[in-house]
Amino acid sequence: MLPRLFNFQQLHFLLLFLNDISYILRKIWDNRSKKGKLMIQKKELMTGNEAIARGAIEAGLSYATSYPGTPATEILEYLAKHFKGRAEWSVNEKVAYETALGASYTGRRSLVSMKHVGLNVAADPLMTSAYLGNKGGFVVVVADDPGAYSSQNEQDTRIFARFAKIALFEPSDSQEAKDFIIAAFDLSEKYKMPVMLRSLTKLSHTSSPVAEGEIREENKLALQKDPAQLIAIPSNVVRLHKALIEKQKGLTEDGAIYNSIFKDKQKKGIIACGIAYNYAMEYAEDFAVLKVSFYPVDEALLKDFVAGLEEVIVLEEGEPVIEELVRKYHKNVKGKLTGEINRTGEVGADALGLYLKKQTPSCGVRDLPRRPPVLCPGCGHRDLYTALKAAAPSFTAGDIGCYTLGCNPPLEALDSCLCMGASISKAAGIAGQGVKRVACVIGDSTFMHMGLPALISAVYNRANITVLILDNSSTAMTGHQPTPLIGITAKGQEVPKVILEELCKASGASTVTVIDPVKIEETTALIKEKLAQENGVNVIIARRPCVLTLKKK
Amino acid sequence: MIFMKTLNVLITGVGGQGTILAGRILAKCALEAGFDVKANELHGMAQRGGSVTCHVRFGEKVFSPIIPAGEADFMLAMEELEALRYVSQMKKGAFIIMNKRTIMPAGLENKADAYPREIQKQIAALGFIVKTLDAQKIALECGSIKTENIVLLGVLSKQLPIKKEIWEAVIKAAVPRKTIEINLSAFERGQAL
Repeated sequence: MLPRLFNFQQLHFLLLFLNDISYILRKIWDNRSKKGKLMIQKKELMTGNEAIARGAIEAGLSYATSYPGTPATEILEYLAKHFKGRAEWSVNEKVAYETALGASYTGRRSLVSMKHVGLNVAADPLMTSAYLGNKGGFVVVVADDPGAYSSQNEQDTRIFARFAKIALFEPSDSQEAKDFIIAAFDLSEKYKMPVMLRSLTKLSHTSSPVAEGEIREENKLALQKDPAQLIAIPSNVVRLHKALIEKQKGLTEDGAIYNSIFKDKQKKGIIACGIAYNYAMEYAEDFAVLKVSFYPVDEALLKDFVAGLEEVIVLEEGEPVIEELVRKYHKNVKGKLTGEINRTGEVGADALGLYLKKQTPSCGVRDLPRRPPVLCPGCGHRDLYTALKAAAPSFTAGDIGCYTLGCNPPLEALDSCLCMGASISKAAGIAGQGVKRVACVIGDSTFMHMGLPALISAVYNRANITVLILDNSSTAMTGHQPTPLIGITAKGQEVPKVILEELCKASGASTVTVIDPVKIEETTALIKEKLAQENGVNVIIARRPCVLTLKKK
Repeated sequence: MIFMKTLNVLITGVGGQGTILAGRILAKCALEAGFDVKANELHGMAQRGGSVTCHVRFGEKVFSPIIPAGEADFMLAMEELEALRYVSQMKKGAFIIMNKRTIMPAGLENKADAYPREIQKQIAALGFIVKTLDAQKIALECGSIKTENIVLLGVLSKQLPIKKEIWEAVIKAAVPRKTIEINLSAFERGQAL
C-alpha cells in the first residue's frame, strides 16, 4: 500500500496554519491604508466568557442583560467593564430576556446571557419570541453545566433550541466563541429569529488565545410598529408558527459551513459536538471526524459521514441529541444510549481515551478526606443557622445561594433545595396540609429573583409559615453582583434602593422583623416565637452583610 | 512555529491560596513564549475553602482544555493533601513540586488523625519525583505570605522552556503594583532552590 501523503492530524494542522496565514494577510490588507505600515495582530488569552462578551462588542452590540449564575456570570461582568453601552443585571432571567428582546425591537443588537437553569425561567418569552422574532440581532447565550459543578441539574440547552425551533451555535474554544457570536448576530438579523449560543463550564472557564477584530457600528435606532408580527394573539400565532417552520430549511443550509467532515479512508469515525471536538482530537489519528458546531444539523451530512464507516462514536456533552439522529443512519453507533459513554455527568477529556483503551488511569490514592466548600469564617449565615437549629422548625425549605451550604455538616439546617425562589412556595405547600412550625430560608438576591411572587401567593392563600430572608446585601455565591436592594447597577451607578422590609409589608406579611443574626440568642427567641404563631406569613429579615464584601471595603 | 509536544501542568490547592492566579500567570507566560495554550480553572466554590485545580496545557497545538488523566507532566501543589488527591492525574515518573503546608478540611479541625500521614513518602512510593519546600516561610521572608504561589512558580520555571524575562514581565503585570518587588524576589528565591 502506498503511504498516505498526509495523515489526518497533519492535514488538520495544515488547515489551521493556512487559516492563520489567511487571517494575517487579511489583517495586513485591512491595516495597510490606515496605518501606513504592516501590522500583525497579537492574540490575547481569553476565557470563553470573555470571548463571548468581546464577540458581542465586535458585532456592534447596543444592549446586554443577564442575571448572575455560574458558569455564565463573567459575560455580563466583562461587558459592564469594557462595553460603553448598556449592560445590566436584571432581577431574573425572564426579565433579562424580555428587556434584551425589547431592545432589539428598536433595530439595535442585543444579547442576554444566563446559566442553563436560568433558561427555564426565561422559557416563556423564549418559546413565543421564536414565532414573533426580533428586529435587530438578538442573541441568547446559555452556559450549561454538565457534571453539575455548581448547579442543581445537568439539562442540555440544545434541546431547548430544538423545542423553540431556533438556531444554536456550539463553539469548541474561545476563538470560535467570539467568531460564532458575530455569526449568530448576523443570522438573527437575516432570519429575524433569536439565535442561541451554548457554552459549557469547561468552555466558559478555559482561557485560550483569541485574535481581536474590528468593532462594528451599532445599528441605527429604528423603532417600528409591526402588530401582525409582534402581537402574540390567536389570529397571528398559527401563521407565525408556519413561517418559523419554513425558516428551518434556510437556517440549516446557512449553518452547514459550521459543521465539517474530516474524512479520508478511516474505518471508524467520531462525531464530536462543540467542546468534545477537542477530546476527539486528542485521539483522532485513526478516526474520521465530524465536527458539529451548529444546530439544526443537516441529516444528509450525518448520513454522508457515517457511510462506509464500521463504527461511529458520538461525543456530546448533555443529552444524546446527535446520537439519536445518527442511529437512523448507522447500525453500529457507540455512545450514551449504548453505555460506552456515561449517560450522566460530564463526558470530559477521558471518556474517549478510556473507551479506546488508549488511556490507563495511573495509580491514585483512595478515600482521602473530602474538602467540601463551606460557609466562610465570620459569615452571618452560620449564626442564623445556629439559631434556626435551636428553634427547631418541623421542616426548613431551602433555596439557591451560599446559604445552601447550610445543608452540610456540621450545620445540617436545611431539608430541601430545588430552584430559585422555591423555598417559600414549598413551605406554603407543606404548611397547607396542616403541618405546624414550617420555616423557609431564602437569600436577598434570590428573593428579588423569584421569591416575591411566592411570598405574595403564600400571604394571599393564608399559609402559616416563617420566612427567613438571609440578607447579606449581595449576590455572594456568584461573586458579589449588586441587586436592586443595594441600589448600585452593574456599571457601578448609584440608584434608589428598594427597601426589603417595605416590600414584604406591602406584600401583606403579618409581621416583618429585622434582626442581626450575630445576636444568636435573640434570633433563636424570635424564630421560636414566630414558629409558634399561626397567623399567616411572618417574615424575619436576618441582615448581616457578606463578610467577604466587608473585607474588601 | 515551535514544534513541541503539549506540556501539561496541574496546579492544585485550597481556595484562597492563589492557585488560580498561579495558573493565569503560567498560561500568559506560555502564550508570550509563542505556544498555543489552554488553561482551565475551577471557579465558583473556590473562595469557600474547597479544593481548587487549574489545568494549564501548552505546546504547538492544544486541544482538550483538561489534562487527560495520567497525562500531567508537572504538578504544582500548594497544599499536601491536594497533592496526594490528584496524583492519579500524573504521568508515570512525573515531577511534583509540593509546598510543605497542611490545611485541615472543614469539619475535620478536631480530628487530626483524618489527615493523611507522610504524604511525601506516599507520593514518592508511587514512583513520582517529589520536590518539597516551605514556600510559606520563604514568602514571609520576602515580605508577604501571599507570594507563596510565586515562590512555587519560581521552582517550576526551571523545568519549563520559558525565558526568565517573560516570567518577570508577566508577574509584574499580574500583581498589584506595590507588591511587584516582593513578588519578583519571591520568584528569584523559588528559582534558586
